[in-house]
Amino acid sequence: MRSSSRVWRIVSFLSFVTTLLLLCGFIYAVKDITYPSASSGMELVPSTDQKDQPAVSPGQTGIVVIGDSLAKGTGDDEGLGFAMRTVQLLQEKDKNQEVRLFGNLGINGLTTDSLSEELKEKGVQYMLKEANVILLSIGGNDLFNGGQALENGDDLPTAKELNASIDAASVKLKSVAKQIVAINPDATLVYIGLYNPFSDLQEMRSIGNTAAARWNMLALETFNPYRNALVVPTYDLFAGNVSKYLSGDHFHPNGEGYQQIAERIVQSLN
Amino acid sequence: MQHTSISEQRDSSGKTVLQVKHLKKKIGKKWIIHDVTFDVREGEIFGFLGPNGAGKTTTIRMLVDLIKPTEGTIEICGFNVHKDPERAMGYIGSIVENPEVYSYLTGWENLEQFARMLQGVDDERIMEVVEMVRLEQRIHDKVRTYSLGMRQRLGIAQALLGRPKLLILDEPTNGLDPKGIKEMRDFIRRLAADGMALFVSSHLLSEIQLLCDRVAIISHGQVLAVGKVDELIQNNSNYVVWEAHPRESAVDFFANKRIKVIDDPEQILDDSVMAGISPEAIVTQMEGGQMAEFVALFTEQGVQVQSVYKINPTLEQLFLELTEGESIE
Amino acid sequence: MNSIIPLIKNETVKMVRKKRFYVILLVLLVLVPMFTYAQMKISQRNQEKFGSDWRRSVQQAITDNQNSLGSARIPEEWKKFRQVYIQQMKYYLDHDVNPQQPGAVTFTREFMDNASSLFIPLLIMGIGSDIVSSERTAGTVKMLLTKPVRRWKVLLSKLITLIMFVSLTVVSTFVICYGISGLVFGYQGFDMPVFAGFQLQGSNVDLSAVHALPQWLYLFMQMGLIWFVGVVVALLAFMISVLVRSTAASIVIMMAALIAGSILTNMASAWTSAKYLFMVNLELTHYLSGTPAPIEGMTLGFSLAVLAIWGIASLVVSFTVFTKQDILN
Repeated sequence: MRSSSRVWRIVSFLSFVTTLLLLCGFIYAVKDITYPSASSGMELVPSTDQKDQPAVSPGQTGIVVIGDSLAKGTGDDEGLGFAMRTVQLLQEKDKNQEVRLFGNLGINGLTTDSLSEELKEKGVQYMLKEANVILLSIGGNDLFNGGQALENGDDLPTAKELNASIDAASVKLKSVAKQIVAINPDATLVYIGLYNPFSDLQEMRSIGNTAAARWNMLALETFNPYRNALVVPTYDLFAGNVSKYLSGDHFHPNGEGYQQIAERIVQSLN
Repeated sequence: MQHTSISEQRDSSGKTVLQVKHLKKKIGKKWIIHDVTFDVREGEIFGFLGPNGAGKTTTIRMLVDLIKPTEGTIEICGFNVHKDPERAMGYIGSIVENPEVYSYLTGWENLEQFARMLQGVDDERIMEVVEMVRLEQRIHDKVRTYSLGMRQRLGIAQALLGRPKLLILDEPTNGLDPKGIKEMRDFIRRLAADGMALFVSSHLLSEIQLLCDRVAIISHGQVLAVGKVDELIQNNSNYVVWEAHPRESAVDFFANKRIKVIDDPEQILDDSVMAGISPEAIVTQMEGGQMAEFVALFTEQGVQVQSVYKINPTLEQLFLELTEGESIE
Repeated sequence: MNSIIPLIKNETVKMVRKKRFYVILLVLLVLVPMFTYAQMKISQRNQEKFGSDWRRSVQQAITDNQNSLGSARIPEEWKKFRQVYIQQMKYYLDHDVNPQQPGAVTFTREFMDNASSLFIPLLIMGIGSDIVSSERTAGTVKMLLTKPVRRWKVLLSKLITLIMFVSLTVVSTFVICYGISGLVFGYQGFDMPVFAGFQLQGSNVDLSAVHALPQWLYLFMQMGLIWFVGVVVALLAFMISVLVRSTAASIVIMMAALIAGSILTNMASAWTSAKYLFMVNLELTHYLSGTPAPIEGMTLGFSLAVLAIWGIASLVVSFTVFTKQDILN
C-alpha cells in the first residue's frame, strides 16, 4: 500500500512537470517556426578552434583537388580519378611522407565561370588554405561543353566557335588562377592541361587539336607568373591513344588514362 | 403463461431494493430477453435460475449497467440504473461471471483500486472486508498466485467494499470444491442475516433450493415463474414412484382419486433417474403429504406396497413441467 | 465520486505495476547503446578521412551533393532535399558553426530527430494500445464499469494517464540517450549554436530569418514537437484500443499504420493527397531543422492541423463508443 502511494507521488509529479515542460517546448517551437526572426536567438561567438594547429604538419602532404569532372574522376571504373592515383603514387615514392587527400571538390560540368563562384565559398577557401598541393582541372567544359555535343548528336563546334570560347574562357582562367593563389599562395598549384578528346573523329581532329594546343599555351601563360604554379600537359598522352585511354563516353579518361595523368603529376611535383 | 405468485402477496415485509420491470433486450435482430419482471427485497436471498444460455448473464449485465436494455426499467433503491448510474451503482456490489481482478497486483492493491472508485471506503473498511472473506493471510500476495476459491473470495470482498444494499453474485459456487461451496453458502446466509439483499444466479436447482428464499426461473429470455422456492417445487413437480402389487389395482385407485399417472415417464424424467426405477413402477404426480394417505389406503385395500419414494424434480423437469403446462392448458 | 484524481491514480498504479513502462525503458537501454556505437564508428571513419577538421568534412559533403544534382537519374524531390541541404551547410560554413559538433547533446538531437516519426511513436503505441483493450481481454472492465463512476470518467482517467506517460516516454528517451551517449562522446554541447528558421520555398532556402539557437533550446523545442506527435499517436492508439477487443490486434493495426507512414513518406510525393494522412505528418521536427516536407504544400501549420483533426476525431470516436457500448463479454 505504501509503495503504490509512493509510485503515484513520484509518477504524478514527474509527469506533471515533464508535460508542462514539453507543452512549453511545443508552443515555443510552433512560435519559432511560424514566425522566425533573425533577430532572435543567440549571439554567435566566433569559434575558437579555428587554426589552432596547422592543417599540414611537417612530413605531410595534403592534397586538394578542385575543378571539373576530370578532377572528380568521372570515367574511372575504380572511382579513384587522378586525385587518389596521385596520392597512391606519391605515397609509394616516399614512404616517410604522409600523403593525404584532404578533399575532392571536383564537380561534374564545372566551367571556369562556376569555378570562380565556387572559390568564393568559405568552405572551399578553407579547404584550399589547408592544402599544400592543389590539383586543378578546368576548361574542358568551356571548350567542348563536356562532350555534350557528342552524346546528344548536336552539331560539333566549329573552329571559329572554339576560338571564341577559348578567348572568353582564358580570361576567366586568369582570374581563377589569381583567386586560388590569393587564397593559398604557398601551396603548389598544378594545372592539368587539356587534351583533344575528339582526335578519333575525322572532322574534329585538327580543329580539336588546334584548340587544345592553343588553350594549353594560354594556360601556360596564365600560370607562368606564379612561382608555385605549374602546368602538366596531357595533350600528348591522349593523342593517338584515344581508344586506349578514354572511357566509354569518348570524352573522359578511363582508369588507365587517369593513371597516366597521375604519373605526369607526380613527375612534375619533384 | 402460468405465473406462480402466491408468495408475492404474502411476503412483502421488506423494502424493495431492486425492481425490474418489463426488461427487454434486442441484440442485432434477435430478442435475447423478452420480458423480465421481478423485484428483490431487503434481507432476502433471491435466486435467479435458468439453464446456460437462458439469458441470466445478459440480465445481470443489464442490472449492473454493462448493457443498456432496449426496453424496460431497472431501479435500485429507487434510482434508475441507466439514467443515474452514479447513484444507483453505489448501492450494488457485484461479481459478473468470473471474479476478474488484476492478476499483476496484490489482493490488497486490487481492493485499493476499487476502493478509490467508491465513496467513504478507507483502509479500515478494506481490512474489514478482507477479514470477512478470510483472506488476511494472503492479501499482500500477487493475485496470480491465488486459487480460484481465493479469487472468488477476493471478488466478494471487492463487491462488499462499498457497503452495498444489494449483492449480485453470478454463479458464485461455480468451480468451487464441496467445502468451498458450503462455506460460500454459509457466507451468503450470514450476509442476508445482516439485512443485505442477495441476488444469486445459478443453473443448479439444488443450489437455489438450499440457499434461496425466493426464485425467478428464466428460460429463453423469459421469466417463467417467480415465487418461494418450496412452493414452486411443491406446486409443480412432485413425482412419487410406487411399486405396488397388483399394479392394476393401484393404477385404478389413483384414477379414482384423480391422481395423474405418467404413462411414459422416460419422456419427463431423465435417464439417470429412470435407471433406478423398475419398469413395473407407477410414476405419479401428487403432493408429498398425500403419500401417507395412499399407503394407508393401499394397506387397507390389500394392495401390497413394495416401495414408495419421492423424486426431487431436477431443473429440467421443472422446466418441462412449466413449458408443458403452458402448451397443455 | 466527484474527483477524477483517484481514478488517475488507479490507472497510474496499474501502468507501473504492469511493467509496460519498464519495458520501454529497457528497450531504450538496449537500443541506444547500439546507436551510440554505430555513431562512434561513423565518427571514427570521418576522423580517419578528414582528421579532426569538420569544415573539410562539411565541404566534402556539399561537393558530393552538388555532384549528384547533376545526374539526370536522381528524382527531382531528392534533388530538392540536396539543394536545401547544400544551402544549409553553406550557411553553417559561412558562420563557422559546426553542424555536427561532437558530443552527447548533438547525438541526442539527431537521435530524437530520427526517432520522432517511427521509434518514439512505436514506444508510445506500446503503452497506449492495450490501455483499454487489456481490461477487456482480462475481463476487468466489468469491475471498472460496475462501480458508481460514469464511463466517460473512467475513460478520461485512462486518457490522462496515457498522456502523462507519453511525456515520461519522451523525456526518458532524452535522458537515456544523453546519459549513454555522453559516456562515449562527452556530456558537453548544450550551449553550442544550431541554426533554425530556414524558410523553404521550393528548393530555395530563404535565409533572412535564420537565427542561431543554443542546442538546449533547440532540443527543448524539438522535444515539444515530438511530444505533440506522441500525444496524437497516443490518441489514435487509444481509439484503436477502445474499438478492438484484442490487444494484439490493436498493436498490429497501429504498427501497420505507422510503418505504412514511414514508407509513404519516402515515396508519396507523387500522390499529394497522402498529406492528409496522419502518418505522413509525424516528422514535425523537420520543420524546425528546415528539412523539406515529403509532399509539396505541407507546412508546420498544415501538419499540426492534420494531426489535431485526427486526434480530435479519434477522441470523439473513443468516447462515443466507450460510453454507449454494451459490454457483452
